[in-house]
This record gives sequence, C-alpha cells and structure tokens, in this order.
Amino acid sequence: MQPSPPKQPTPPVPSTSSSPSPAPAQSVAPGDSRRAVDRERVKPYADHLGDGIVQFSFTLPVPYGLAARKAAQELALKMGFEHPEVVHYQRLTDGYTYFVMFGECTQTVDYASLSDEGFEVEYMGEEEIEAFARERIGRPIVIVGAATGTDTHSVGIDAMLNLKGFHGHHGLEGYRAFETHNLGSQVPNSVLVARAIDLNADVVLVSQTVTQQNLHIANLTELVEIVEAEGRRRQMILTCGGPRVSNELAKELGYDAGFSKGTYPHHVASFIVRELAARLAAE
Amino acid sequence: MTRTLSQLIAPARRLALVGLAKNTGKTETLAAILAEYARAGLLVGVTSIGRDGEQHDVIDARIDKPRICLQAGSLVASAGALLRASGVAHERLAQTGVRTPLGEVLIARLSERGAVEVAGPSAAADVRAVSDAMAGFGAEQVLIDGAIDRRAASSPEVADGLVLATGAVLDEDIERVVAATKDAVDLVRLPQAPNGGVPGEERVALARQLVLNGEPAAIAGLLREHPRASTFVAQGALGERFLEGLLTARSERTGRTLRIVVGDPTKVFLSRRGADWYRRQGLEIEVLRTIALKALTVNPVAPQSHRFDSKRLRELIEAAVADVPVLDVLDPAYLALAK
Repeated sequence: MQPSPPKQPTPPVPSTSSSPSPAPAQSVAPGDSRRAVDRERVKPYADHLGDGIVQFSFTLPVPYGLAARKAAQELALKMGFEHPEVVHYQRLTDGYTYFVMFGECTQTVDYASLSDEGFEVEYMGEEEIEAFARERIGRPIVIVGAATGTDTHSVGIDAMLNLKGFHGHHGLEGYRAFETHNLGSQVPNSVLVARAIDLNADVVLVSQTVTQQNLHIANLTELVEIVEAEGRRRQMILTCGGPRVSNELAKELGYDAGFSKGTYPHHVASFIVRELAARLAAE
Repeated sequence: MTRTLSQLIAPARRLALVGLAKNTGKTETLAAILAEYARAGLLVGVTSIGRDGEQHDVIDARIDKPRICLQAGSLVASAGALLRASGVAHERLAQTGVRTPLGEVLIARLSERGAVEVAGPSAAADVRAVSDAMAGFGAEQVLIDGAIDRRAASSPEVADGLVLATGAVLDEDIERVVAATKDAVDLVRLPQAPNGGVPGEERVALARQLVLNGEPAAIAGLLREHPRASTFVAQGALGERFLEGLLTARSERTGRTLRIVVGDPTKVFLSRRGADWYRRQGLEIEVLRTIALKALTVNPVAPQSHRFDSKRLRELIEAAVADVPVLDVLDPAYLALAK
C-alpha cells in the first residue's frame, strides 16, 4: 500500500534574488538594471533577462515518492527544458502526484515581427478612455452583454459589465462613456440579438466557457450568424470572452475580439472605443 | 464518381466552403482544390472567414491542420502579419481597411510558391468585397474557406456556389452522421418560393422582434389577426424558437400548411430538427434565393476519436441525399482520378 507520505520534501531553492545566482556576469553598466530586450529573440524572464526560466506544473498518475520525483524531472527534460528542478511535489490522492517545476527554456520567439503589425490594442486608463470616447464618439456607447445559450456562468460578464467589477477595477457600467445592459445568463442567441437591435447596440459582449465540445462553439458561432442574417454585422462590434477564448479563436468564431483570463474591464473598454472610433471614421 | 472537385465547382466564380462542424475536412477540401487547380494552371484567389493553414487546431492543439499551399501568382486576402510570418515572397496589392483580431486584412499576390496562413474578413459583406477585389486583380476563381460551422459566406449575396464538408466528427454513430448531413443538405436546398407568390394567398410580413423572440403568445396574436394568412415573410433570421412557437400557436388551424419565406438558407437556424420535420408538421420553409450546392466532401476520421470506412459513409450519404456528388478527397480512388 501507499507508504505514509514522507515529510514535505525540501524543494531545492530556486534561484531567487537572495540565492547566489551562478548567472554569468552581464555586460551591464553598473546601476543599469534595464538591459535592452532583444525583441527578435525573446525568452522567458525570471531573475534576469534571457535566463529562460519557466515555472510549470503537472500531475502524473504515479504514487508519491522519490521515483515519481525522478520521473517528473526526466519528463521535463524530454519536454526540452534544461536543468529541470522539482521545486515542489505532493500527493494528490492515491496513485497521483502533483509537481511544480522550474526549467530553462532554450527556445526564443520573434516578438518584433508580431508586435508592429496586427491587432495590437493600446490599453488606456479609465480617464483616457472617457476622454477618447468624448472626443471621438461623442455619444453614449450602447453595450449589451450576456452569458449565452446554456451557459450559466455569468461571473465573467458580471466582472466586465457591473459597477462592482473585480480586483478593484470597476466594470463598464461605471464609465460615463457607456450605457450597459447586462441580460444575465442562459440568454438564447436570438433573444440577445432582438434586445441588441431594440437598444440599437454598438457592442454585443458575450461570455462562454469554451470546451472541446462542439456545443459551446456552435453557440458562439450561431450568435454571429444570426447578426449576419439580420444584416447588422457591420454595425455591431461583437466580442467574446471566456477562460479559453484567444484572439485566434475569436477570429475563427467570427468575433471582432476575444478576451481571456487576465482581462480587466478597461482592456475591453479600450478595444471598444478604439474599434468604434475606427468604424465611425471609415463611414 | 467520375468528376473531380475542380470540375464540379468550375462554373462558380466565388465558391464557398462550409463545414458542418470543426474538423469535417474543409481545409483538406480546399487543399485538394488548390492542388487540382495548380496542375490545371488556373489562377485562384483565396480568403478565409476564419483562419487557415495554421499548424495546430486552435481548440485542440493535438490536431495538426493541413497547410494551404499556393502557386506563384495566386491572390490571397489575409492579415499582413500572417503573410509576413509565412516567409513567402509576396506583393501587397491593397489594404482593405477590414480589421480582424489578427490584424488588418490586405490583398497580396504571391511572388513564389509557398504555404501561407490565410485569415481574411469575417463579415459576409466584407468577404464579398474582398472576393470581388481579388477577381479584379485577375483571380479566375475565388475560394472562400469557412470556419467551424459558419454559413453566412455561402449566402448567394456572397458566393455563387457551395461545397459542404461533413464527417465522422459529428457523431460516433454513422447513421446519425448521415442524418445530420441530410438535414444540413435539406437546409441548403430549401425550396424556392414561387415567384410573385401563390395567387389568392394572404402574405404577412413578420416583424423582426416577433421572429427573434419567438413568444408563443405574440405569435398566436399574429395568427388571430390574420386568420386567412398562409404565407409569412421573415426579413432576417428564422430560428427554432419562432418555428416551435408557431407550431404551438397554430394548433387551431391544424391541417393547413403554413409557408414561411426567408431570404436564403443562411438565414435559417435549425439545430434540433431539420426542415423536413417541420414540413411534416405543416410548416414549409421557402427561400427567395437558392444556393448552388456543388458537392459534399466527407472526412471519415474524427480526430482523437473514431473513424468510419470512407466508402460506406459516402454510400450511406449518397443514398440519403439525392443529386449531390459525395467525395472523399483523401481516398486513394479519388486521388487517382484527380491526378
């Protein structure tokens, strides 16, 4: 049977600022902590630029013990990490062990070719957004939001729209620039579109928990298709949000933008005012 | 099976590819058409309402996606950053002003053969504008690839022809794949409303809100107002809420067929039941403009799940759906024919 779990292993101390880091001396002028970033070869950053250190976690279906620890390290090596370390591991349940790892990523990515073209939204603060909307749009921007279809999770849409917001960032309801209508959860697509037309909405904001099941996806595409069928696609800015919604997924779904974890209301607001201003300017 | 896809679709200046779901093989179908056209030396323009030619699936990264390989001289509508990242030399012909989550769409002509990622406009009206622009730059045919299960770009307002992609991914039960495919084809081939209407009938234009909200009480009120009406015309989308509401409200008139006329098949949204079922209940859905369905392609493989025998799947679909060629572009027999 499972031996009683050994006492919590002491994780090897990751190279934090307090540890004697073996990092090679950098060609940095004394006092200059901000080395220039090579944007064509960007690597993860932990303690110093270019160290490539990544923290990651996974679970293996093996019993807790030293063999499990060794297995995790070997697996991380196979993933391509150099000098992988297990900084924490614990028994999840019988036969399952959870690991937190450090490792050095040897790959780089060319950020320069991505950032200067494409849909880079410059995020603005609340006051900036208000001023931008006053100047460039000059009327309340009507936003209709809902968790659509069978989705009962309204927490995402509430965080974006409601005055309370989250993490100290209040929602779009609190902006003078916006007139918001939160329809709640489980709103059928056709009913949402009917309301949006009624209110002459500039923006429709939906949230949906996307899984690999086609149901969730089909629900998001149907909304876009109904707006198309109503002949309103060019008049309405459609955005979707959810834990797994990327801009790439938004593009496939037919939305103008996708928002995922880590999005605050002012991110959504920045996108909305800029996109609407661009559309009005093109008219 | 005697004709290739490229022969079947030849007359359509703007051809839309639509899948019934993700991973039904739209992009493989597009790749097959491109390969056939490359051999024939036809100059094409390509756009996608989603994103094509990416290496991995956006939802399930375990699924590898086919690349989009274009000949030198081909026209493409895609986001500038994606074109540049492809590393294929190209000449920028026009900025379209269409913004997508992946950047502004531009129209380019490839200077060399290569694989590119294609992400064109999403909105149907923009797709039409970009397609016309590519034709203006010399494309003999424009191919409009779909995304997931989106159908708007197959509207006759945008495209002149359609290829539908279906596949094993729809269900683990082959009979249900066939049934779902039949429903999708029925929807695409909804009958055309008689020109000028039926003599003596009373036509009622439906308010958009009434159709979208589909409240049975409101629908019953409408029927009471127009006791003789047999034809209702919907301006925009027609969905199941309204049809179900109509069935409930109509009970007093059982026996009489009601006709609902919409613009074209892309305006009709049925997910639980097909058009045939509503027809049997006495609700006939008709369209003003029809879609020219050129072919069906099947993908007998459901990624990370199950697969069917390609020939059996095609035969079952052919038996259920009359008058549409059914092809598997990766089947050896088809590849031999296309060579």
